[in-house]
Amino acid sequence: MSLLREAERCLSNQKLYSTLNAFITPLQGSAPTLDCVRDADLRRDKGKPKSNADGRLISIKDNICTRDFSTTCASEILKEFSSPFNATVVEQLENAGAIVAGKTNLDEFGMGSHSVHSRFGPVRNLRRGRNGESLSAGGSSGGAAVAVASGQCYAALGTDTGGSVRLPAAYTGTVGFKPSYGLVSRWGVVAYSNSLDTVGVLGKDTCSVRDVFAILNQHDPRDPTSISPSSRSRILSHVNSPRLASRMTSSPLKVGVPVEYNISELSPSVRRAWHLSLAHLQSQGHIIHPVSLPATKLALSAYYILAPAEASSNLAKYDGVRYGTRAECLNGDDEVEKYLYAGTRGKGFGPEVERRILLGTFSLSAAAVDNYFIQAQRVRRLVQCDFDAIFKAEQPLSSHAALSSRREMGQGDVDVLVFPTVPFSPPQLSSLVNADSKTSPLDAYMNDVFTVPASLAGLPAISVPVTAPSDGQGSDDECLTGIQIVGQYGDDELVLKVGELLEGKKFI
Amino acid sequence: MLQLWLRQPSGVARSLLRSQSRLLYTPKLRTHPHNLTRVASLPPVRYLHNSIQKSQEHIPLRQQLKRESKSLKSRKKQRREDEEASRRKWELTVGIEIHAQLNIESKLFSRAATSTSELPNTNVALFDLAFPGSQPEFQVATLLPALRAAIALNCDIQPVSRFDRKHYFYQDQPAGYQITQYYEPFARNGHVDLFDYDGIAAEDGDKVRIDIKQIQLEQDTAKSTEYPPSTQLIDFNRVSHPLIEIITMPQIHTPATAAACVRKIQAILQSCSAVTTGMELGGLRADVNVSVRQRDEAPGSHQYDGVRGLGQRTEIKNLSSFKAVEDAIIAEKNRQIGILESGGVVEGETRGWTIGSTETRKLRDKEGAVDYRYMPDPDIPPLIIGKDLLAALEDTLPTSPDKLVELLVGPEYRLPIEDAKPLIELNDGARLEYYQDVVDIVRSLQGRDPKLNTDLGRTVGNWVLHELGALLTKEEIDWEPELVPAQSLAEIIDQLQQKRITGPTAKVVLSMVLNGDKRPVQQLLEEENLLLRPLSREEYIALAESAISQNPQMVEQIRSKNQLGKLGWFVGQMMRTGEKGRVEAQKANEILQELIMQK
Repeated sequence: MSLLREAERCLSNQKLYSTLNAFITPLQGSAPTLDCVRDADLRRDKGKPKSNADGRLISIKDNICTRDFSTTCASEILKEFSSPFNATVVEQLENAGAIVAGKTNLDEFGMGSHSVHSRFGPVRNLRRGRNGESLSAGGSSGGAAVAVASGQCYAALGTDTGGSVRLPAAYTGTVGFKPSYGLVSRWGVVAYSNSLDTVGVLGKDTCSVRDVFAILNQHDPRDPTSISPSSRSRILSHVNSPRLASRMTSSPLKVGVPVEYNISELSPSVRRAWHLSLAHLQSQGHIIHPVSLPATKLALSAYYILAPAEASSNLAKYDGVRYGTRAECLNGDDEVEKYLYAGTRGKGFGPEVERRILLGTFSLSAAAVDNYFIQAQRVRRLVQCDFDAIFKAEQPLSSHAALSSRREMGQGDVDVLVFPTVPFSPPQLSSLVNADSKTSPLDAYMNDVFTVPASLAGLPAISVPVTAPSDGQGSDDECLTGIQIVGQYGDDELVLKVGELLEGKKFI
Repeated sequence: MLQLWLRQPSGVARSLLRSQSRLLYTPKLRTHPHNLTRVASLPPVRYLHNSIQKSQEHIPLRQQLKRESKSLKSRKKQRREDEEASRRKWELTVGIEIHAQLNIESKLFSRAATSTSELPNTNVALFDLAFPGSQPEFQVATLLPALRAAIALNCDIQPVSRFDRKHYFYQDQPAGYQITQYYEPFARNGHVDLFDYDGIAAEDGDKVRIDIKQIQLEQDTAKSTEYPPSTQLIDFNRVSHPLIEIITMPQIHTPATAAACVRKIQAILQSCSAVTTGMELGGLRADVNVSVRQRDEAPGSHQYDGVRGLGQRTEIKNLSSFKAVEDAIIAEKNRQIGILESGGVVEGETRGWTIGSTETRKLRDKEGAVDYRYMPDPDIPPLIIGKDLLAALEDTLPTSPDKLVELLVGPEYRLPIEDAKPLIELNDGARLEYYQDVVDIVRSLQGRDPKLNTDLGRTVGNWVLHELGALLTKEEIDWEPELVPAQSLAEIIDQLQQKRITGPTAKVVLSMVLNGDKRPVQQLLEEENLLLRPLSREEYIALAESAISQNPQMVEQIRSKNQLGKLGWFVGQMMRTGEKGRVEAQKANEILQELIMQK
């Protein structure tokens, strides 16, 4: 199919599926876009494409800054905000010939697991429940996942702080990849929790995801947390060392299965998909090996301390003074008017953002910081140590002291971990948005239990769609789910490779 | 003589004037009220002036001045006694935080330039405005002045330090937090030595060492300008201007020593070019925390920075002059003592001080205390400072003011401390360089072993500061090294020392050079016929006898009471009647002694 045909199809799907609410700002006016695609087609015909993404329409999550589209973060406070600059990832894509396909919907500032906390309304999953009811698209990059699933773009950039790319990928049947922290620039990515925020890629298959990742995987001097060129070459020579390089070729892999992840809450269909995926890998000659990640049980709690703490700090800048929407003065409310931007902040943030700001403000306060923030940082370190202990590959950037202590403890021997992306099937949207529903915010947080550990440790992780057969009881036929592959820091290629082995598998 | 050059209007001299204000309490200066009235901003002076105007009686001025001075003395004595009594009963403890703008062209976390004089909001990067998606970019060059300051303040430079966010909402703080170093500052455990000549309180003796707990790098805020009733304009040029915050231990026990400490730290920062401007231009601001406790009672229950047994402290923010530091501490100390003596409790609160007032005022109380919610900044990597950089900086650091003082009062120059201090502090060190040039040139002109001319350092100091200073004051011009080239001044001093001209001639020549006479000194002396042609012994005797004959009673007094001091009057007479520039005072004195005492 020519690039032009594909682009035209994306544009018509954007119109066709507008009710899914995947985009906050879709492409306006197709003519200039299609001109660009025609040029790319010419380059491809000549055998000189700018990149594998040349002429492709790629959507951008609306918390990534773009000069030509507004950047709202799905928030009232930025509903009319237009960034004066492009994020580095947007520049990289455009330089590679890709075309921004619009800005996708999300949970406000990336805070949420179902893409319902948006000033522009909830995202709807393309998939429907048995009785045709709307399902959660997952979040927070739900718009990006639905845009890919419904063919409104070729691939999508999302952000993944605690699972925000992988979870919607699992709910929508797409591939969602979160690279190792620091490989992809965050310059121009609106910070939610800097130490966790990672730009991720969503696509229909691992191949398209890998192509886009290749464009983004570069050092950016404007992002102080971007991995330096020298560290990148250290990582490369590490993964290319003879001991590790063989994993990418024919030799069998040792696949770790963390026993703690087999929780009782795991939905039977998800457990079945996990089991069948492992069986498939075993049939391919790979070795399945149970491992223990004991700190995992604490990871979710630690995440919901650390991410809101950083969020409360990062979101302090939204005051309506220099940019953003400023609330009108509330007449008669003297207490509020006394402070310049109390009204703006009170009105500008949605309830989930407000909740996390308050949580973070509390956990950083002088009386609580030791028991919450500092304690959670310790847990984060334990989670990292858990992973380091089971992987065959060392963390290539850890200090020599850490490496030698690891050698004393005995090396792990697992190449990758395989487990579900999310324990449940997508819930009904109505149960999430109705004010009288019985779900509490904590239920939504539970969705992140399998994605958060890799985020805390900064590890590469991919969610690929897998279909398990119905158990025949008729009660549970939502059998499309996401299986997650997590690798050691810097093992992004290996994670993508194993993802490819499992993606789209239908175990009938 | 000191007040003469202190009246120079230059910025440095102004700051020095403040720094020397304590000297005005010394008896020597109090006997010259006329001179003092010209230094109008100082309270004791203003007091004197007002009293003179109020007086309606017809009393001779001299008598009136004496009376005034006496009553002032007695009031001061009373105040000193009150102070002393309160000091015996109460111990004051003060710790200081100094914020200083670093001397560097770039901001701390963006590529925008620092600026103090440019159009508002012209030097602002995205990160300075906290734009969504922008990130900090640490500017390595800002480390240089910060490290120079830390080395000059004898700190241990930390090989690894980190940046933290300090949160509070204010319109001058665009991100909602300030980036600072709270948990792991880049410098710790320094100290500053204060000597008696730095103006410390008498109770502190010759020297007191104040420990510095830490120095941290941090961002400045934006500048708000108020347009009442409800408008505030914000200039973001100042956002992220690099600052250091210097935190002393609570080890200071007198207001004077606290002021001396701030003054000394400013001088040290200026001497190593860590800062561009001092307090007078807003480049330095001080916060002080003050507590008191009764000496004979059980130790207080509070501890700050590991110092135990202190009373409840309050913090006074944003003091912008040395005098404000001293006055605010005195006022706050008295306020706290007042509360405690009337059975009250001192609240831990933040207070402010307005220049010229007598009381500190409450800014916010304990309940309103800000919880800054310090958090390590997740975007900024740790700061790792190598030993090689430190070694290079230590090698290139200019000599410290204390070492310079030591050198100048030492055997090579033998300057009095009152001259050594201003030489170092005036004109950002240029005056000292000039002084050194003059000394060197005189030495080379005289071609002698410097040890033979042991007074040279002192003499040149007198000419560079006082003789030249007095002329500059009279002419109302600022000192510059080119006004009187070092070569010219050196030649004048050399001629004087060679006894080829008299003192008065030397002053005349200095004035001519200052006023633009470009002739070489030698040529000028010859053409103007100013070289000393020594009088003969007979000529001296004739002059002396003529003077003696005019005032025989005084001769009698001198003889009967052996009042040799009165010979000076006759010397003056001889200088006046003799040919200008030819009478040497010393010879005249010798002849007079001979004539009067031996007859």
